[in-house]
Amino acid sequence: MTIPLELERAAPDERARSAAVEFYLAYERIVIGGTTLLVFLLAWEAFARSGLVDPLFISSPTRVAQAGWELVHDSDFWRDLTVSGNEFLLGYGAAVAVGIPLGLAIGLSRRLQYMLSPFVDTLNAVPRVTLLPLIIIWLGIGIWSKVAVVFLGAVIPILINTQSGVKASEARFIRVARSFSASKLKIFSSIVLPGTVPFVFTGLKYGAGRALLGVVVGELYASTAGIGHMIAQAGNTFQTDVVFFGVLIFMATGLVVVALLDRLEQQFEKWRPDVR
Amino acid sequence: MYAERGFYRRHERAILGTATVFLFLIAWEGVERGWWADALRPLLGASAERLQLKPIFISSPTLVAAAALRMFFVTGEIWRDLAWSSFGYVLGLALAIAVGIPLGLAAGWYRRLSYAVEPFLSALNATPQVAFLPLIVVWVGTGLGARVLIIFLLAVLPIAINAHAAVRTTDPRLIRVAASFGAGDWRLFRTIILPSAVPFLLAGLRLAIGRGMIGVVVGEIYGSAAGIGAMISQAGSRFQTDKVFVGVLTIVAAGVILVEIVQRIERRVDVWRPPALT
Repeated sequence: MTIPLELERAAPDERARSAAVEFYLAYERIVIGGTTLLVFLLAWEAFARSGLVDPLFISSPTRVAQAGWELVHDSDFWRDLTVSGNEFLLGYGAAVAVGIPLGLAIGLSRRLQYMLSPFVDTLNAVPRVTLLPLIIIWLGIGIWSKVAVVFLGAVIPILINTQSGVKASEARFIRVARSFSASKLKIFSSIVLPGTVPFVFTGLKYGAGRALLGVVVGELYASTAGIGHMIAQAGNTFQTDVVFFGVLIFMATGLVVVALLDRLEQQFEKWRPDVR
Repeated sequence: MYAERGFYRRHERAILGTATVFLFLIAWEGVERGWWADALRPLLGASAERLQLKPIFISSPTLVAAAALRMFFVTGEIWRDLAWSSFGYVLGLALAIAVGIPLGLAAGWYRRLSYAVEPFLSALNATPQVAFLPLIVVWVGTGLGARVLIIFLLAVLPIAINAHAAVRTTDPRLIRVAASFGAGDWRLFRTIILPSAVPFLLAGLRLAIGRGMIGVVVGEIYGSAAGIGAMISQAGSRFQTDKVFVGVLTIVAAGVILVEIVQRIERRVDVWRPPALT
């Protein structure tokens, strides 16, 4: 890729400098991004060490790292992580298992859409975490209230996106298939379903964000274990280092889940028939 | 006969929708009043009792309606909460717009700035921002400041990200034409980029409205004396289920109204939007 650029460069004695410049240009995004990140962390550390602000309030990168190191060797931390992980996986798994089939069904059947849309639209208009006090009354403060709020948070975007994926399937393709007398099942499996894939993944990504939100809020509000519980406790006792480490865990989870879904989507893209 | 069928066809959506909502409400009311338990007692015997639930668990449509009537018009207690919540919401959202739109537009225009802020924006976007709440409480306490900050944090990202995308997706041909006719940066920005960005900005605002609602509820649930979220949380811990439902429905109504307003504006702007952009 860089060879033509290389040839354009005139004087050979400028080679050394131009190689550095080219490296910079090729990786400008990473260089600038990495630098600002580094500067941010250094400034944070310097600020915390300067004594202008009590490190109790803002912590510092090294303190957070130290707190993380200590937590990793603490069995309570692993218990919290397991609890939060279970809440996320159970709730999100149930949301996927319900949201995609129901979204497909609503997209396919106009009547079903008419019957269910008042409920879906209402739930969509309200942050589902609002229902938390009710869910706690119904299910208690254990893991299941969190699973329920994670499920409710994630199922709506998955369902709505799947449904609009079905609605957006090319009418031309369906008409062509129909005039070649394709069966309903055939039309569904070879036109409608592949067409929904990008929509479903959009929904899955939104849903993952909502699911994580559910874990955090559920655990902040009322819980006995979990990373959100850990954060809340640490906040109440002014252990900002631990709070930051907990936030980092949620951040990492969010990034990893989205990256995994992107990867999975690419797999599906390969499988998708090349229609256009 | 034909006319009747035509009527059903024309209003199928409304009829089916109302019917299911109605059935749902009746089923709900029945569970609380024990209609189903009474009806099925001959069949199920004593275990039919399980079909009747105490009002503190599920309340009922009539109880919720009565509570709403009382809270809105008799005691009027909800207005104070509503005012308190709206105040924080408007402040947080205004701050998010004031920061998010300039930041997003600037990051979209200057490539290097975009590289610099990208790691922060994408990391924050992947995080459930409410996890910062305990930190915010350590910094500014549980008062108005904490609520405004969490609403800001939740709402600023969709606004900034959409503003960024808006500049990026501006038709490059238009920019090149304007630039070759000697238009300066400011002129380019004002006459090409900003107008074509408006739909994106509104879409971002629509998302931000929903996110901000989360901020209101969570910020108040976590530690606040007044506001709709605080009211819901207190009613929940006192098992006043009907009040919880009134609070939830109030938030639903507020969300629907706000989104509807933005969508109206969006539709109007779509008409005005230059047709070259598709």
